[in-house]
Amino acid sequence: MEPIIEVKNIKKYYKVAKREKGLGATIKNLFHRKYEIKKAVNDISFSIKKGEIVGFIGPNGAGKSTTIKMLSGILYPDEGGIKINGYIPYKQRKQYVKHIGVVFGQKSQLNWDLPLIESFELMKYIYKIPEKVYEENLNKFTQLLDMKDFINQPVRQLSLGQRMRGDIVAALLHSPQIVFFDEPTIGLDVVAKEKIRDFIKYMNETEQTTIIFTTHDMQDIEKVCDRLIIIDTGKKIYDGSIVEIKNKYANSKTIEIWLEDGKKEVKTFDVNQTPMNEVMEELFSKYHIKDISICEPEIDGIVRDIYEKRVSLEPVVAGMGE
Amino acid sequence: MRTYLEFAIKKFQNKMTYRFDFFMEIVNTIITIVVYLCIYKALYGGTKDIDGITYQMVATNFVISMGLSNAFKFNEMFLQDKIHDGTITNEFLKPVNFTFRMLWENIGEGAFKIVFNFIPALIFTIFYTSFCPPKSIINFLVMLVSISLGYLILWLISFIVQTWSFWLFSVWGIITIKNVFVNILSGSLLPIWFMPDLLRKIISFTPFESIYFTPVRIYLGELSGRDILSGMAIQILWIAVLAIVANVFWKKGVKKLVVQGG
Repeated sequence: MEPIIEVKNIKKYYKVAKREKGLGATIKNLFHRKYEIKKAVNDISFSIKKGEIVGFIGPNGAGKSTTIKMLSGILYPDEGGIKINGYIPYKQRKQYVKHIGVVFGQKSQLNWDLPLIESFELMKYIYKIPEKVYEENLNKFTQLLDMKDFINQPVRQLSLGQRMRGDIVAALLHSPQIVFFDEPTIGLDVVAKEKIRDFIKYMNETEQTTIIFTTHDMQDIEKVCDRLIIIDTGKKIYDGSIVEIKNKYANSKTIEIWLEDGKKEVKTFDVNQTPMNEVMEELFSKYHIKDISICEPEIDGIVRDIYEKRVSLEPVVAGMGE
Repeated sequence: MRTYLEFAIKKFQNKMTYRFDFFMEIVNTIITIVVYLCIYKALYGGTKDIDGITYQMVATNFVISMGLSNAFKFNEMFLQDKIHDGTITNEFLKPVNFTFRMLWENIGEGAFKIVFNFIPALIFTIFYTSFCPPKSIINFLVMLVSISLGYLILWLISFIVQTWSFWLFSVWGIITIKNVFVNILSGSLLPIWFMPDLLRKIISFTPFESIYFTPVRIYLGELSGRDILSGMAIQILWIAVLAIVANVFWKKGVKKLVVQGG
């Protein structure tokens, strides 16, 4: 299938004013400023097929937001090209944005003083959604996200979880083909997160919506995404499936054993260095074991290792994950 | 068009939620108008007219220009706030023209204040002092059109200054100074009739005269026939000039935002 999103070697450099400490330097700065070049995005490429659901992660300051901004058309790349759904986002912004939806977890686009439903109505006019489609989508979404109780309340009285659900609906009412979620679960409780994840999955499965998802919550990624792109310091360092990253980079496994006298022992080992049966043999000969459980490596731990550079990823082969 | 009208309607509804605010604004409008009327009543001290300008004319000028300038106030830090907190990028993700959206939201706010601020204040002051009636019903209707044009001039001046927040950290100071200029030169504090000839001549070359003074003169019948047309032609000319200037700043600012990332 033709990719719906194609990103080729994009780069974005920011010019940052360099500030030195001290009064003298401050005064000097008034007249003569030194600039530093910060490479926010440094040669990133990937392509995404229609109906894919991709997790986009990286530590703070890795260049995630800059990339999302370029993908959504509000920032020009310095070099490289982006083609999404036949449009060049930053050049054909006005036509392009009709086909996408963007949800920012930290910036609401709802009208603070008016009931939620009024903000939805406004979307109907902004995107010129046909009445029938609007009614259908609204009914479906409010039911799925369980919003009947608060749809007539002013947004300022809503809880964060309720507001977030409102924001998601507002961004999807016009049935966009591509949706960018920028930290949609930030600050939410477990139940609210679960609801949002289910909804995103549902949209992807039933409407074939292509979804790009940034988050710091690895549970989000594990439960929702099929594919993972990790970026750090402006470069793509991983692009592939979640199963793959687990198999490849989960160096250590943990075995928990409960002994007959009720004590618990935990053993962590590296499968690449000591094969499983060696470890087992050793354990069986040493203890009287009542129960045993092998913990699968958590994606959380893997990503932490990657961020902290405890594991080095192989250089990403172009076209990987396709 | 329907989309932008919706923005205006939503803003109108928005304003409805702050009832205390709007009661205070009515009181504010009434107090300012009454205070100025008292001053001018005292200055006239029973004299019928000064250079052909009667107290009634001055009072009419005040109620229209001062009353409307209160009603036409809107949040001039809007763009700066949007730029500072980064939410301006959200606006670019919608298939609407952001400038028109801003204009229509402000129009919605203005409409709200005319209905719930200007008209109540007007009714109150009618009991306090007497005004000139409009020269004719046609003059009155033409004045309404002229006021709308005046509003656009006022809005464009504000918008131009607001776009400077793409480059400056704060435009608050500039906006305050701009408002002093607008209030004085548009004749809402001191009627333009009483200004020194030289100053009056200078003002006639600025857009300020077109904001309130042209509508007032149409209402009073000071302008008639061809003068009305030329007065309104000047208003339209200023709108065109200011719109071009605004567009240049806006385009440059947006370019800076999308190229440099704000």
